[in-house]
Amino acid sequence: MTQRRAPARTDTPGARFLDPKVLARIDNLDLLARTVVDSFLHGLHSSPYLGLSMEFAEHRAYMPGDDIRKIDWRLYARTDRHYVKQYEAETNANFTIALDVSRSMAYGSGGITKLDYARFLAASLAYFSIRQRDRVGLYAFDTEVVEHVRPSVRHLDQVLHALERVVPGRPGALGPPLFTVASTFRRKGIVAVISDFYESPDAVIDALKPLIGSKHDVIVFHVLDPAELEFPFDKPASFEDLETGERFPVVPEKLREGYRQMMREHVAEVQRRVLGQGAEYTLLDSSQPLDMALFRYLLARQKTRGSRGAA
Amino acid sequence: MPLGFLVPLFLAGLAAIAIPIWIHLTRKQRSLVIEFPSLMFLRQIPFKEDRRRTIHHWLLLALRALVILLLVAAFARPFFQGNAALAVSGTGPREIVVLLDRSYSMATTGRWDAAITAARQAISGLGPLDKVSLLVFDQGAESVVRSENDPGRLRAAIDTLQPGWGSTRFGPGLKLAQTILEESALPVRELVMVSDFQRRGWTGEEGVRLPAGTRVRTMPVSGGGANVAVADVVLRRDRFSGRERVAPSARLVRTGGDAEAEVAVVLEVEGREIQRRTATLPASGAATVDFSPVPVAERHTRGTVRVAGDVLSRDDARHFVVSPGSAQRVRVYTRPGAAGEASLFLSHALSISDESRFAVEVRPLGAGATDGLATGQVAVLTDVPFPLGTTGSQLRRFVEGGGGLLVVAGQSSAWGDDVDSWMGVRIAEPVDRLDGGGGRIGWVDYDHPIFQLFKGPRSGDFTSPRFFRYRALVPLDGAGVLARFDDGSPALIERRIGQGRVLVWASTLDSFWNDLAVQPIFLPFVHQMTRYASGRGETLPWFTAGQVLDVSDVRAMATAGLLQGTEEGLDLEGERVVIDPTGASVRLPGGAGPHYLVLEDAGFYTMRPPGTDQDRPLAVAVNVDLAESDPATMDGEEVAAALSATVAEGDGTGGTGGAVDLQRTDIERRQSLWRLLLVAVLALLAAETVMANKRSTAVATS
Repeated sequence: MTQRRAPARTDTPGARFLDPKVLARIDNLDLLARTVVDSFLHGLHSSPYLGLSMEFAEHRAYMPGDDIRKIDWRLYARTDRHYVKQYEAETNANFTIALDVSRSMAYGSGGITKLDYARFLAASLAYFSIRQRDRVGLYAFDTEVVEHVRPSVRHLDQVLHALERVVPGRPGALGPPLFTVASTFRRKGIVAVISDFYESPDAVIDALKPLIGSKHDVIVFHVLDPAELEFPFDKPASFEDLETGERFPVVPEKLREGYRQMMREHVAEVQRRVLGQGAEYTLLDSSQPLDMALFRYLLARQKTRGSRGAA
Repeated sequence: MPLGFLVPLFLAGLAAIAIPIWIHLTRKQRSLVIEFPSLMFLRQIPFKEDRRRTIHHWLLLALRALVILLLVAAFARPFFQGNAALAVSGTGPREIVVLLDRSYSMATTGRWDAAITAARQAISGLGPLDKVSLLVFDQGAESVVRSENDPGRLRAAIDTLQPGWGSTRFGPGLKLAQTILEESALPVRELVMVSDFQRRGWTGEEGVRLPAGTRVRTMPVSGGGANVAVADVVLRRDRFSGRERVAPSARLVRTGGDAEAEVAVVLEVEGREIQRRTATLPASGAATVDFSPVPVAERHTRGTVRVAGDVLSRDDARHFVVSPGSAQRVRVYTRPGAAGEASLFLSHALSISDESRFAVEVRPLGAGATDGLATGQVAVLTDVPFPLGTTGSQLRRFVEGGGGLLVVAGQSSAWGDDVDSWMGVRIAEPVDRLDGGGGRIGWVDYDHPIFQLFKGPRSGDFTSPRFFRYRALVPLDGAGVLARFDDGSPALIERRIGQGRVLVWASTLDSFWNDLAVQPIFLPFVHQMTRYASGRGETLPWFTAGQVLDVSDVRAMATAGLLQGTEEGLDLEGERVVIDPTGASVRLPGGAGPHYLVLEDAGFYTMRPPGTDQDRPLAVAVNVDLAESDPATMDGEEVAAALSATVAEGDGTGGTGGAVDLQRTDIERRQSLWRLLLVAVLALLAAETVMANKRSTAVATS
């Protein structure tokens, strides 16, 4: 079955429902996820069952005792032999979301914070995965795992509740919690890591390596606020680090270009290093719709099915 | 016009301007805090130094720096130095003090006109900002015009001036001039003295210290020629055919001249010429003119000895006032039936007087003996007990009302305890000093008026008299011992009781108990005791111009010869009018005194207080101070040099040091720029507050 990729444009029909600011008005995270996913799928002009796991696998010769309802009568007509359609048993993949809830994720220059945006994203991905018959789990972490929902097809509600429950509070660190996440997996799956990655590229890669090394399909969602990308400040002020509380007198006009340059280099380096490790990387602007993230998920899902089929 | 500072040390405070600059460079934006996810990139950008050196609020910084600048300048006491420079250079507005001598020597022919001309000359050429003060002085000083710039008013004031009757004393005038010059804020100060500069007016101890930079200019005036003055008049009293007479004797002094001159001398009584004499006076010589005795029948008889007019008419007359019966009345009480020797020496001693000072009456002490005692009299108890009953009471009232009591202790002297406490003296048994040649006076209070006469060398030896017996006296509270015997016993005790005085002499005043009566000091000693007991001073036949008389004081009036203590019904507390020698009336208020009559002019002051004979007004003679007739003068330059020496250090001619500092102080005080600066500081602070608040509000909003 061929997937048709829709362009990731904000003017996509239904995109208005994916606008984070609009989504922020929906209190119910379940409803929000349904809205996002249904709108996204509607925009793709594809079957609502696209990607269902009840797919044909192979034919085999009928043997006594087989269910006659599984005989492929069309093939019998052509070959005059009884063949039975054999479907691949749908065990589906584990989809785990590793969500950074450190203090820095509480930043937001627009209507929503990075954490809100990440929460919407995680809920949408979880709902989408359930639609794919995947098992959904959640790890929320800062310097350690603070919320954990074991992957299961019946744990969507728990995931959504956990997402609603998490609050940013402490400084964050990628390495220890992601190592914990990797060590708890018993089977391969898809891991979506959502964070602002305020660590050096080396530290980011080191943190992701346990997941990548465990043959998980790792999708990195790098969530940043537009102000972090553009540094639009113009008046001298004391900038306070949300995680450390450190204050720093800054004259923005003197620093803007240098900051932008360093941020661009940081993003590019993280992306390069992540892709180099075989993981997916997506930079998300918290002011942009969520469809790009969903597309990335689908790509990763497709990749997972491909690799499994190949296997 | 350059700017100077009185306290330039405060300018060091300008360093404080660095404070707002430093704050503007280094202060943190505490008002605006932006939370940011991570500072990991910002921290890596090298920008700190550049940021800290950036000053964003130039206007605020300028305001704050200006506030400090003005504040420091205010404390440094700025002033514009233009006037100080003028002071140093001796130009600029002037404060001129014209000190004009109006002593009576200036009335010498030609001198006053010259003085007026000189004063007019001193005020000529006044600048628009110059100020002139016109002072006149003799033994006192008076401001006629103070800091006036109108030449017309000044000339009019000068033209109204006339020489007075006082004598020359430079001190008061210079003191007043010093005060005016010190109070002046003008940069140039001048003192112009117009005088004949009589040497006796300058003592060298005037205590004047003219302000720094004061220029002293003297304008001496002279004129006249030989002058004859009536220097003194001696009034010798005697009695002839029971009538009291006065024989005036005038002493004439001639200054100047180059040959003998005959001068007509006239004695006037009550304004009428009585006698005329002619005196021959050598050049710069003197002569005495005796007049025949003149009966003095009426009280307050006014007399004048006058010589013919000359270049200085004001010392050509000598006025005096004499009254009959002015002798001190003394009543001596003796024991009834006692020998007359007890009071013989005393009464004779009091009777011996050139001017009939004492009128002695001897009475036995009995009933009614004290009748007729009046204030001003003296009662003497010679060896008698203090009277009892009515007589004693009368005697006490007499003393308390102002009478004098002299108790001469003898064998019969005695009094009770009540008299002890009243008199302040307790009398004890006689003390015999027959061994060793008798006792002597061992200590005398020579500062007491009784003994002052004997204070000088060879003025009387109180150790000569020998005392063989005397009564032991014990002074009580309120009594003072004036003399003691060589054994320490009081010899003379005094006590004031009411308005009167009591003297107690421990021994007799005859030849029985001592030999004092035959000693040379006996007569003056008895006179002094009697006069002191009366409380009456020496009657003055005249006053000197410039003196004052308290017309509400009985004793002062008696000293002036106006009262004798016998005037009954005299009202000294009512309002009275005094006619001065010029005929003008001077009204003196009534009520309790003192009420001073200033005797400014020579001649006769007359008054008619209620209760006196309206046909014979009380009269006071006033004469000029003859010392003013001394022709010796000083050189004007000598006076100027002496005054220049009193100018504060660093005078204007030097142009440095203290003088300039004083000028700077004066100028700064006058300009008071620091007040304006403080007002400006307040205004700037208000503006700074408004601006800073607006900026803070804008930052908070953003």
